[in-house]
Amino acid sequence: MAMARGLWMGVALAAGLSIAAPMALAQSAGAKAAAARHENFKQVGGTFKAIRDEFAKGSPDKAVIQANAMKLNGLAGKLPTWFPAGSGPESGAKTDAKPEIWADRAGFAAAAKGLQTETGKFQQLAMAGDLDGAKAQVRNLGGACKTCHDKFRVPEK
Amino acid sequence: MKSRLWDGPTRVVHWALVACLGLSWWTAETDHLEWHRWSGYSALGLLIFRIVWGFAGSATSRFSHFLKGPATTAAYVGTLGSRETSQAVGHNPLGALSVVAILLSLVVQVSAGLFAVDVDGFESGPLSYLVSFDQGRLASKIHSISFTILQILAALHVVAIVFYLIWKRTNLIGPMITGRRAFATEQTLAFASWKRVVLVAVVAFIAMAWISKGLKF
Repeated sequence: MAMARGLWMGVALAAGLSIAAPMALAQSAGAKAAAARHENFKQVGGTFKAIRDEFAKGSPDKAVIQANAMKLNGLAGKLPTWFPAGSGPESGAKTDAKPEIWADRAGFAAAAKGLQTETGKFQQLAMAGDLDGAKAQVRNLGGACKTCHDKFRVPEK
Repeated sequence: MKSRLWDGPTRVVHWALVACLGLSWWTAETDHLEWHRWSGYSALGLLIFRIVWGFAGSATSRFSHFLKGPATTAAYVGTLGSRETSQAVGHNPLGALSVVAILLSLVVQVSAGLFAVDVDGFESGPLSYLVSFDQGRLASKIHSISFTILQILAALHVVAIVFYLIWKRTNLIGPMITGRRAFATEQTLAFASWKRVVLVAVVAFIAMAWISKGLKF
């Protein structure tokens, strides 16, 4: 009796898997890009947090700031490639990217460029060892994030 | 003849927490995160005070005074239908549960806020440096869910007070403002000295300052 039940459970599980696995594989390229983008933005958030945490300490470690400044500038450089056509809400993926990103390509590119300018400045200040200047630049980094998010991201609720 | 029921600190903490709740809500909705943090720190200090006061305060503020077992609570629930004025001195057994639920959800609310990180990693609580970005985001989600719970509990609290006002013709709001209430028989309750009020307030303030500065002075 117990064995029969176990057998049926196994069959049900196998049947479930055989349906679910191809469905997962069939996830569209757009949805995959959206998921990858989500991970990339988490990296941005994490890097930004690491920078802010370091500055919040009494004596920030220059090496930590520099490493994260380079990482952040690198991520900002790649950011425009995270939005391939078809990776918006129409992909079916859970995303806060607004369709305006693709409708207003020029506006989005300008906003991304604005971020790269600020992360570039930040990296320069950090590499020059100007921690006070870099700390002051954090505000501009946040501003660049906000400029783009206000226009191109669904507000968090 | 009115008897002294609630001490000053308990009333001040009660209304100050109401103010913090409103201010925190408004500052969160309007993106005034700097004020939101200050409001949260105030709530943290008030909570620490109230919890310590629950053990060391005046009689009617102590948990041991109002927390009752299931049998007593069930018996009290049985009297709710009666239109007789409530003669419970301090929190009744049901109100006691409400007090504990609100205090607990406030503790969750404030603690989660201390560790919360916003979606951009830009705005964060003072203890967020102790956790990863993902953990901070989780704290932020808990902060948001527990606020919904808090709103429900606060609404329930107001409904209960209106119920007592209309059905039982018992005004519970007045005593929470004046500290005095009329009972069928005069009550003589124990009240903590002002020296103790100051001592507990100082302890709560120092603890709040230490936590809100990220466990540093």
